[in-house]
Amino acid sequence: MILCAVLVLLLASSIPGQAGETDSFPGLDLKNPAAIQEATRVLEEEVKLASRPQTYLLLDLVTRTIQIKGRGVELHRMAITTWSARGLHELKGSHRLIARPPVLRRKIDPTASVEQEPISLADMPVDYTLSFTPPLSVDVMPTAEESPFRWIRARGQTWWRDLQDSWSTNRPATQNPYLRLEVSAEQAQSLAWSLVDGMALVIRRPTDKR
Amino acid sequence: MPWHNWATTTQTCDLTMMAKTAVSFSTLILAGLLVTAVPQSSHTAFPVSDTFSSPTPDEGQDRRLHSLQAKYRSLAMQLSKLKPHQPYILVDTARNHLYVKRQDEIVLDAIASTGSGTILDKPGEGHDQWVFDTPRGEFFVQSKLTNPAWVKPDWAFIEEGLEVPKNPTDRVEQGVLGEYALGFGKGYFIHGTLYTRMLGKNVTHGCIRLNDGDLKSVYQFARVGTPIIIF
Repeated sequence: MILCAVLVLLLASSIPGQAGETDSFPGLDLKNPAAIQEATRVLEEEVKLASRPQTYLLLDLVTRTIQIKGRGVELHRMAITTWSARGLHELKGSHRLIARPPVLRRKIDPTASVEQEPISLADMPVDYTLSFTPPLSVDVMPTAEESPFRWIRARGQTWWRDLQDSWSTNRPATQNPYLRLEVSAEQAQSLAWSLVDGMALVIRRPTDKR
Repeated sequence: MPWHNWATTTQTCDLTMMAKTAVSFSTLILAGLLVTAVPQSSHTAFPVSDTFSSPTPDEGQDRRLHSLQAKYRSLAMQLSKLKPHQPYILVDTARNHLYVKRQDEIVLDAIASTGSGTILDKPGEGHDQWVFDTPRGEFFVQSKLTNPAWVKPDWAFIEEGLEVPKNPTDRVEQGVLGEYALGFGKGYFIHGTLYTRMLGKNVTHGCIRLNDGDLKSVYQFARVGTPIIIF
């Protein structure tokens, strides 16, 4: 009886918490070595970032989501409508945000009798470029359905940059990787709000051929 | 040796043998069960060794896949261990909400007011400014106060066009922070407000305001050391 009890206890304590372990990327095909390798690379970066008290971004191109995370916890999730990229296959590790759209802050005037309006989500831009180090540009633009004129302008800027890049023959595409994200205006503003100088970014790339 | 003695010895031998066999069998079953129950998150669960003799391509691929799966599970486990295992406070400054969370469960969802993002010039010839943002990142409850008094900082006078008082007692104001306050460092607090109609808006100087009921719940829930994650 005692042997049985010990056996049951040993078995109970050694049964792994599989559900909790594999929750990081639900839907990950555990039979696909390339997909697991990419998920593992992302997790390695996340383990480093989650050990610090700062929030970070996970750009999951497989599930088309932008996730704000802290201590490994998903704090907020935004949907990506469509995306395109160049030179992503060469990317390694995580990136640090070095430039983002300026926030137009209102200045308090102590002599004014009317109180200054605070900034809100509505004051955030809907199309902008984020620069990271190691070099990576992320263009955030609204969807064509939501803001056709902004979409055309943002597309035009991207095409112009692509054209300039193709003219400069000395610069291989991998030295200037970029990512273009189309998101709803609300999500673009939400992302702009959540950014912090020096914020880390990790990208999970799809492994299937597109 | 007399027959009967031999028989007894044989019987004893048989019994000993049976007992030994039973113990060995139980040990084997126990070992087998334990081996199958070893967590697969461990790297040792799928040893990838070069000592195997000439594996077939399929075997090699299988071993590589098992090794990758083990590494993935191990990292997922490491990440899971970094998550807060105690209840924590989560503040969404964009939508002005404060949540009390226990793992994935939302225990409390409260409308809050967070930093206005406005700026105020510091007096003097420099270009120093105060920026009224709620700080982002992870913090911890450092103090729990009841009936807190507000010791007004310099900016509270300057933004109203008033002289900064020289007497410290002139800075103290009672009853404006509500019944409770939770400090999370550098002068930032979660506290109450007289301006409840402004809840849900970014109007503060960086502190997090709640209505009286939600403030009481958060105060009762939080301990010194409770994590506060702000984004």
